[in-house]
Amino acid sequence: MAPSDETDEEVRADGTGIVPPDDETPTWGERKARSQGLSRLTYEYFERSRREDQDLRMESSYVERDVLGFPTWPHEMIRNLAITSFFVGMMIFLAATLPPHIGAPANPSQTPAVILPDWYLYWSFGLLKLGPLNPDLAILGGQKLMADRTYGVLANLVVVGFIAIVPFLNKGSARRPVEQPFWAAVGVFGVVFSITIAALSVKNLVPMDPHLLFDLTFLLPPVAGFIAYAVLRTMREGYMFELNRRYYRLRPPK
Amino acid sequence: MSLERKDDHDHGGWMKSRELSPVERGYLTVLIWLDKRLRLVDYLEILEDLYYKANLQMPKSHTEQYNLDNKFWYWYPLYALGSFSTIAYVVAAISGALLGFYYSPSTAAAGAEGSATVAYASIDFIMTELNFGFLLRSLHRWSAQVMVAAVFLHMLRVYFTGAYKEPRELNWILGIVLISLTMVFGYSGYILTWDQLAFWAGQIGVEMSLSIPLAGEWVAQLLFGGFSLSQSTLQRFYILHVFFLPFITTTLIAIHIGIVWMQGIAEPH
Repeated sequence: MAPSDETDEEVRADGTGIVPPDDETPTWGERKARSQGLSRLTYEYFERSRREDQDLRMESSYVERDVLGFPTWPHEMIRNLAITSFFVGMMIFLAATLPPHIGAPANPSQTPAVILPDWYLYWSFGLLKLGPLNPDLAILGGQKLMADRTYGVLANLVVVGFIAIVPFLNKGSARRPVEQPFWAAVGVFGVVFSITIAALSVKNLVPMDPHLLFDLTFLLPPVAGFIAYAVLRTMREGYMFELNRRYYRLRPPK
Repeated sequence: MSLERKDDHDHGGWMKSRELSPVERGYLTVLIWLDKRLRLVDYLEILEDLYYKANLQMPKSHTEQYNLDNKFWYWYPLYALGSFSTIAYVVAAISGALLGFYYSPSTAAAGAEGSATVAYASIDFIMTELNFGFLLRSLHRWSAQVMVAAVFLHMLRVYFTGAYKEPRELNWILGIVLISLTMVFGYSGYILTWDQLAFWAGQIGVEMSLSIPLAGEWVAQLLFGGFSLSQSTLQRFYILHVFFLPFITTTLIAIHIGIVWMQGIAEPH
């Protein structure tokens, strides 16, 4: 500030005075550029990536739309309203036709013959019944390393943990099942296993020999996965053929 | 010198110089009043920026770019499962809030005979005496079932179309957390009816948490309020079901959808 400005108004130190920007006041861009340490690194990184984006945009032949999809009102809103009313109506219809059941009141002194969670927890309930797969070690004199119950709870953690790290195991740009038969087969294995393990959890209600059911629980998923793998591998030949034909039709070899 | 504050930018004069309908004038008055206090303009700019980024700079879709004749329209329903589960969540939240007016989480004996608890009796009241109570409970239960089913199918869709790949790994993990929360939601609601099935499903829950290595007893006491089911179990699951889980799940759903908005839908290739 020039000295003449200071004389005609006293300096207020309570932070209420608004100082207009002059030529020496740094802009926000300059403040960021002048900063030190981590904030300086952040600034440099952002500037760099902004420049990279701009370069990519300049050199790409990617067509961006001038006008762009449907207007939010009325097109999108009416479509969303229609979808939402359809789904809500479906739920009201289900609710009206299939009302819920309520059993006898809780009685701690009488264990019912059938104990069940809701259907979506059957897979977890089934994983608690993996006792026969819990290995007993000869070193421990036939003792099991952990109790069957602990084994079941850990099995739940293993399953959820495996699903969580799938993106870090399966990388690359393949998206369709035909492009990645192995991972699609893993998916089919998982789906079939979740169904068979759910059936195992309600084995009292399944009209089948429990031992046979136990064996099928672990036999069916690999079989289904293997079939899926074989089918997708076979489909991949035709798929790649189509893809290549389209590619060479667009860009004929010179 | 007047003590009245000056209208620095002459908003009043600007409004007078224009021919405004009463609705427009009312809207502008409220907007200017709020903007003077809360600097709404800054936030509006951010929103505007987001809107145009999301809607106006949309690149050509995969079908348009490669001229694929829109052959995969029949997959579209599978791409609506995420919003379907959100809609079911909203329906469950509304019907659940209405149910909460009539439900009381108490294991005290309701009648003289002492067999049914107050919690069970309040559900009995909802189902037999309350107007539309049967429909309300039915709707709550079915929207919960539909939500769980939609969430499972949504996960399968994302898996089989490879939509979890870079850059969407974080959202996949967030989705795993959300599907687990959905199941905890379902389980805690299942306990609240306090009938035979609920009681013994709770018993299994206690045994499961006791089986967790090292932290088992601590978890059982935290979640179930002891090693056997009691009033505190019901109380805890009630608070979990109507207070903690709604807040956590709603926040995470908002983040989940926000990330989808920022990253765009993973189109089938």
